Amino acid sequence: MNQLSKSQRVFRGTLLGLVILFFMFPIFWIFLMSFQTNEQILRIPPSIFFEPTLINYQALITGRLETQAGNLDIAFMENLWNSVFLSSSAVLLSLVLGVPAAYAFARYRFRLGEDIAFTILSFRFAPPLLVLLPLTLYFEDIGLSNTYTGLIWVYQLISLPLILWIVRGYFEDISPDIESAYRLAGHSWLKTFMKISIPLARPGIAAAGLLSFIFAWNNFVFALVLASADKQPVTVGALAFVTASGIQYGQIAAGIVLSVTPTLLLALYAQRYLVEGLSLGAVKG
Amino acid sequence: MSSTSSALVAPKSGRLRKKILPYLLSLPALLVCIGILIPFFTAVYYSMMRFRLNLPYLKGFIWFDNYINFLSDPAFWNTVQISLTYAFLTVGLELLLGLGIAVLLQQPSKFNNIVSVLLLLPLMTAPALASLMWKLMTNPNFGILSYLVSMLGFSDFRWASDPSTALLTVVLVDIWVYTPFIMILLLAGLRSLPKQPFEAAALDGVPQSFIFFRITLPMLMPYLLTATLFRLLESIQQFDIIYSMTQGGPGDELMVFQVQAYLEFFQYTNVGRSTALLMVLWAITFALSNVFIKHWLRLRERTHGNG
Amino acid sequence: MATLQVDRITKKFKTDVVLDEVSFEAEEGETLVIFGPSGSGKTVLLRVIAGVYEPEEGKVVLQGHDMTDVAPEHRDVGMAFQNFALFPHFSARENIASPLTALGKSDSQIEEQVLSIAKLLKIEHVLEHFPRALSNGQKQRTALARALVAAPKTVLLDDPLRNVDAKLRFEMRLELPRLLRRFGSTVLYVTQDYREAMALADRIAVLVGGKIAQFDTPESIYLRPSSIEVAKLFGEPAINILRGQVNDEANRVSVNQNQFILPKGFHNNAGSICDIGIRPESIRLFREKRAGTISLEVITITPLNERSVVLLRSQEGLELLATYPAEEKTAKIGDPFWGMVVPEDLLLFEIESGQRCLPKQN
Repeated sequence: MNQLSKSQRVFRGTLLGLVILFFMFPIFWIFLMSFQTNEQILRIPPSIFFEPTLINYQALITGRLETQAGNLDIAFMENLWNSVFLSSSAVLLSLVLGVPAAYAFARYRFRLGEDIAFTILSFRFAPPLLVLLPLTLYFEDIGLSNTYTGLIWVYQLISLPLILWIVRGYFEDISPDIESAYRLAGHSWLKTFMKISIPLARPGIAAAGLLSFIFAWNNFVFALVLASADKQPVTVGALAFVTASGIQYGQIAAGIVLSVTPTLLLALYAQRYLVEGLSLGAVKG
Repeated sequence: MSSTSSALVAPKSGRLRKKILPYLLSLPALLVCIGILIPFFTAVYYSMMRFRLNLPYLKGFIWFDNYINFLSDPAFWNTVQISLTYAFLTVGLELLLGLGIAVLLQQPSKFNNIVSVLLLLPLMTAPALASLMWKLMTNPNFGILSYLVSMLGFSDFRWASDPSTALLTVVLVDIWVYTPFIMILLLAGLRSLPKQPFEAAALDGVPQSFIFFRITLPMLMPYLLTATLFRLLESIQQFDIIYSMTQGGPGDELMVFQVQAYLEFFQYTNVGRSTALLMVLWAITFALSNVFIKHWLRLRERTHGNG
Repeated sequence: MATLQVDRITKKFKTDVVLDEVSFEAEEGETLVIFGPSGSGKTVLLRVIAGVYEPEEGKVVLQGHDMTDVAPEHRDVGMAFQNFALFPHFSARENIASPLTALGKSDSQIEEQVLSIAKLLKIEHVLEHFPRALSNGQKQRTALARALVAAPKTVLLDDPLRNVDAKLRFEMRLELPRLLRRFGSTVLYVTQDYREAMALADRIAVLVGGKIAQFDTPESIYLRPSSIEVAKLFGEPAINILRGQVNDEANRVSVNQNQFILPKGFHNNAGSICDIGIRPESIRLFREKRAGTISLEVITITPLNERSVVLLRSQEGLELLATYPAEEKTAKIGDPFWGMVVPEDLLLFEIESGQRCLPKQN
């Protein structure tokens, strides 16, 4: 359709090259840094050729850092585990709670449903701290401060609306006649929901689940406010890591690499679902 | 057979069950709703009080004094100014960049698709971690960017530690993380545009710039609006990137709304002021999101419409 | 006792009354057609009977049991939808087997029954395919197979031939009655096509604007329609409707100074203005004048299968559509004819209500 001249193509190629460079470089560079010792990092001029080392990862994984200044215990692996546990549990719970609710909103018009949808929708863009700060005070009273339960519950504020938002659209797209046909074939409502509605909405459920996991994993402020050191996920833990003294730069880089790799891999693996979920979340709903 | 016997056995329960089913299914969503609304109204309440955690005996209801005090508080206006500047800078630049990249990747080719996937990655990075990545890269001692910039003649470029360049630094991180979002949206928009107007224009020999500004852009308007509103709403309440980078510093150079509110609460334990500040932010986002929701609902009618 | 009874069913969507006190019944093994123009509520009625929709008022009685509050899966009803509604992620075989799995039959039983009905409907060669790989005709047969395989007492067919090409539709119109009689179920068949209705029905329930306009055998509905609306729905070309005045003796009705002979029994309508209905095929045409005929001239001729439809006009401006077999001497435009209507074939309708005036014997 658009026939570009050679010079136009070169121009376009150059621009794209710059764009790719800009967006890929930080990831690439930090990745490199994670395999360097402090001396290699501090070397000027910095170079991409060096002898890689695994001691940074070793230190993180084993949790012990041996330097001339002495030994240090690093709890980074704990942070990583917290991220995995919190994100997965939150998303799982959201799916169990949210998928049936999304179905209710898709199939039934009821006043309460409209109200709930409206509230959740309008708070989608509200500042999180507005809810989190009073919640901190409440949690202290209830005894939920710095507990997995409290955190997973609060994480629902991130994952549940997303799942409701995306999955409802998918349920609406299933023709009600198909569900009626299955009922008339002799199956109960529950069986119809499990065997027909959910399988047919599976792409949407997958997209919503994936997106929710990534958003939950990447979340920072919720855990910052409501979790203390032992329950913090990597996003908060990495910051504490950086500001703690005696940590080697290579380790910070390695910590960052370990923290972002899961979501990046997920994103690559399921990019089709992601793009669908993102644009749906913004446009279709 | 089962049918006739159960017909005798299933009386009015059928109708009742059908009525409560939607309520049952949406119960969890309702609980989450309540979980949002209770703290929210508590915040509203606190924002109208003099309430400091370290001075509990002074706790008292003062109506709108917190808000009125804001009007004469230079720190408040600084927050407003910084937040708005940040929001407009990031969204404006991301729109331009995102649009440009989307146009470059318009044709559905294998190469273009691979590039769009790669460009997804910054968006999937936690903004707090992205900030840390850039913090490492701008470190004055070993940061690669500091080195490159010194090659260009800026020998002592302090990036986020310098009041004059701190904003630039965090805006840069924001652009790095969020431009792909706009790009995805606009790319989807571009690829969904009908071909006929463009073919007709090409046949008529209309120049490219005319096509772009008078045909493409107007047709992309719904996507552009969606992207802008979405990002504006997020940018004005940005916390992760700025807090991770400088915790609002240097000085109060980067004290955007949520960072300021956070510090008011945890450092100065001033619950009253911090919730009042958040209420101001909420009012802004509420107004903006109403515009967005109305517009988005209209879009949804068009795509879902009468099914 | 009737196997299926619909008793004053009223269904509303918000303030829209879609079904208004609809009542009729069907005997066991009967094929009852629900016929009406689009928007008359036929599909809604079927779904109320199936249990997919709940009526605001009224009862649905199946096999003598009040099923109004019973869930669809317990009503022993098989339904074939207009848009097929096949499960897209199941193969044709699994679609058809679905009612049988609900009954908990063994695998071998299921396989046997699915195969036998597939053979009956001539789709055994596409059983492994998924709906997206089937043609419309195959989808329709699969939907039918699914509705019939468990031999339900009641079978609901929602315009199953609508989305199928004309040739297949005609074939199925011959095959269906044979197929349905094999199963002996009571069949409710919804259609907008009057020919289909007349071909398949033991009785027809004519649904117009949410109300039953007439419930009778096809023959009665055609020859003795209850109202002008019903009369217009049946027959092609459409029935001639003319406004005329009954004379004082109630033995003639005049339209534009042309007169038709009325049969006995319409004394109640003496002197009143009525609508009269004349089916095109009840107009007898002669080349020469006979007693009681009107002078007519041919305006247009349209061939229609084995007949021709001819539009005629009298000198006084009266226009009539008539038909005559094509083998007869072919007429030309402008030819003069003499036409009459056998009095017993004349239909008289009240102006206000549209109801047919019934002749009184006394």
